Amino acid sequence: MEVSETIAHHILDHDFGVMVGTLHLPITAHTVTMVCVSLVLLLTGILMARRGKSIFSRLLHTAGEEYVAFMRDGIVIPGMGVEGKQFLSYFCTLFLFILFSNLAGLIPQMKTITSNISVTGGLAVCSGALIVYCGLKFHGLWGFIKTFVPGGTPWWLVPLIFPLEVISLLIRVCVLAIRLFANMLSGHMVLLSLLLIIFIIGGMSKIAGTGSAIPAMGLEIFMTLLELLVAFLQAYVFTLLTSIYVGLVIHSH
Amino acid sequence: MDKLLNPDFGVMALTIVNFLLLVWLLHKFAWKSIIGALEKREKQIADDKAAAAQARQEAQNIKAELDARLQQIAQEAAKKMQEAVAVGNAQKEQLLSETKQQAQRLIEQAKAQIEAEKNQALADVREQVVSTALLAAAKVTQQQLNAQSAEKVVDEVLRQVSSPSARV
Repeated sequence: MEVSETIAHHILDHDFGVMVGTLHLPITAHTVTMVCVSLVLLLTGILMARRGKSIFSRLLHTAGEEYVAFMRDGIVIPGMGVEGKQFLSYFCTLFLFILFSNLAGLIPQMKTITSNISVTGGLAVCSGALIVYCGLKFHGLWGFIKTFVPGGTPWWLVPLIFPLEVISLLIRVCVLAIRLFANMLSGHMVLLSLLLIIFIIGGMSKIAGTGSAIPAMGLEIFMTLLELLVAFLQAYVFTLLTSIYVGLVIHSH
Repeated sequence: MDKLLNPDFGVMALTIVNFLLLVWLLHKFAWKSIIGALEKREKQIADDKAAAAQARQEAQNIKAELDARLQQIAQEAAKKMQEAVAVGNAQKEQLLSETKQQAQRLIEQAKAQIEAEKNQALADVREQVVSTALLAAAKVTQQQLNAQSAEKVVDEVLRQVSSPSARV
């Protein structure tokens, strides 16, 4: 098996091929991981919402309140204004879902589902839908269409500007998906490549392979820590950019 | 490797459904409660801060009122002190004046008494001289007088006048 095939084998999604009649269900390693992540997140959320008497329960509840306050005051209100408070649940879930998904790959036998373009694409579609929903809710259909033409644009430029603005919105949504996907994928590819160095060199000489294990593992630890940082950073960036894009539509005037 | 960039629309659809379901479930069972508790706590903190600010304002008002009252009391005390000093000075002047008048009166009484006693003494002396003269005259008339005896009588009278018992 070539190196590229080995890396692809570890990174690519594996379809379990579950069929219901003629319907092919998307039961894959990534979707199973996604459901696990969702269940963990749901359980965490329910535990955070409970106000038990134990110290752990109170700590968890306080952490939940601090998290919601951070999301509201650090991301939603700066990006969308006070109108964004009604979508606070969406952003709280979005950040934690991406974060847990990013971190899941660091657990053995689990997959980084955000290194799958289909998963990040699905999240970006949700964000795009929210942008359109807010545009329609706050401006109406005609007002939302008018937001694609900046004020003061000469009438003869409108046919050019309007499609450009529509494409710009679509690109923003696509970029959300590609940025998250590329960052998480590249991190895992680097981690796998560093591990494969040991086996490639070991294939040529067992002594050299053993010698290369120490620097390779050092780099592996460094990259894992970097991945930890990137996991938080990308979750933050995706959530922040979504709030900014939605805010741009809400406050288009 | 091409599979990496080819989206699986089934997975994408499942992701969307899973994520939206998760948003709904977490909103219902977690975020709603946490946001409610957070807003309640923030409202309580805001209310407490407002109450503290109001209490502080009231305390400042009371302090200002007390300061004004203290100042008023100090002014009244100073005024009363000045009045007391003025009354004291007036009483002192009056006492001094009365004392001077009384002293003057006593001096005048003493002078009058001395004058009266002096006059009385002079009258007594005059009366004594008269009685002595009368006595001498009687003796002169009662005895055979010669020049020598007359001189003796006069000497006798003068001796009696000059003696202390004769003065009284």
